[in-house]
Amino acid sequence: MQRFARVEGILVEPIGHLWAAFSPATGETALLNDESASILEVLEIEPADTAAVCAVLSSDSGIAPDELFALVDGSWQQLTEVGLVRELPVSRNHPQ
Amino acid sequence: MSAAASDRPRSLADVTQGAIAEALAVNGLWLDLGAVTLNVRSDSPVLAAQLKIVYGHYPFIDKGDWADAHIRIMQARGLRRWVRPQVVFYCDGRLAFDPFPADSPLPLLEWGANWLVAQRLNDLLLLHAGAVERDGFALLLPAMPGSGKSTLTAALTQRGWRLLSDEFGAYDPEAGVFRAMLKPVALKNASIEVIRDFAPDAVIGPVFPKTRKGRVAHLAANMASVQRRYETARPGAVVLPQWQKGSPTRWEPLAEHVLFPALSFNAFNYNLLGEAGFRAAITLVRQCLGWQLIYSDLDDALATIDAAWPGVVERHAQAEAS
Repeated sequence: MQRFARVEGILVEPIGHLWAAFSPATGETALLNDESASILEVLEIEPADTAAVCAVLSSDSGIAPDELFALVDGSWQQLTEVGLVRELPVSRNHPQ
Repeated sequence: MSAAASDRPRSLADVTQGAIAEALAVNGLWLDLGAVTLNVRSDSPVLAAQLKIVYGHYPFIDKGDWADAHIRIMQARGLRRWVRPQVVFYCDGRLAFDPFPADSPLPLLEWGANWLVAQRLNDLLLLHAGAVERDGFALLLPAMPGSGKSTLTAALTQRGWRLLSDEFGAYDPEAGVFRAMLKPVALKNASIEVIRDFAPDAVIGPVFPKTRKGRVAHLAANMASVQRRYETARPGAVVLPQWQKGSPTRWEPLAEHVLFPALSFNAFNYNLLGEAGFRAAITLVRQCLGWQLIYSDLDDALATIDAAWPGVVERHAQAEAS
């Protein structure tokens, strides 16, 4: 499965009910909901794929990983486009 | 940044129109706006009179040692000069914009100077907002289309608030303060009469009937604002104004996630500043209280702001004490 890493140097700050995130890679600022901010928090520890992120979020929230899968999987595109995460090349240790 | 100097502490109101015209024609007139100084040269026969009105309290400086930008407002040459006279705007020797009618050098100067400031002052986060000061704290009025930002800014300055700028909330991230970018307030269309009625003694320059933004007239900054243009202001509060015909005054607190985009995504140079801009915007959102103000009655709107202000000052005093 495709793995993602948090882009180095991003800034994430809580603002009211949302989060503001700045990417030094793109210079863009995005407003994130709690779910997207949580994904970035998980990736702060180490790169992960959708299943691994779901597992961590599930243990934090009590929501079943299956229920989180679509949400996490659907977040990668926006997070990547804004420059907050990057796709890692597929390695032999982490086959798709 | 602002280092213009003169041996003569006279204001533009103190000198003759001829002296201003001569300065414009020879070495230029230095306009010291606080955070920025402009050198303006012109051969326009009417600009001196217009400047004398709306920059009346500014020091008359015809020999300065520094300007952040050198502007020339010149009469268009060739057949234009006779058929449909125009003035053109040069910055640092380069033609910058489409010409304006020859009788409208002031709107061209004001518009062009704003553009230059927005392009060049990138040591500051330039929020697109009216900015006024009281008790050492800045009140920001971010510009949303049809918000009535200039009208409200102008009205506040006629009721004891110090004008920092009608156009720029000029935040210095290193010092953590707002700086004055003091120019006349550009009143447009109906707001000209609104301010005339609201403050009959206000000094308002000529009305220019056919600019790109409709009718425009410029409200002069008062003497106190000009004299205090080097005084900074700490972040105080943000009010998002919205004029709504017939509406009762509504005053509603705003959450940080509404304030942040209202400030940052509406700034002139937020993207250019990158991480520094982000950090500055976050700092402002953390420090400033925020409200939305929907109004139709200007007096009532001002009374609402005035009533809330002691709470703003108190909250900052508590924050500093802790």
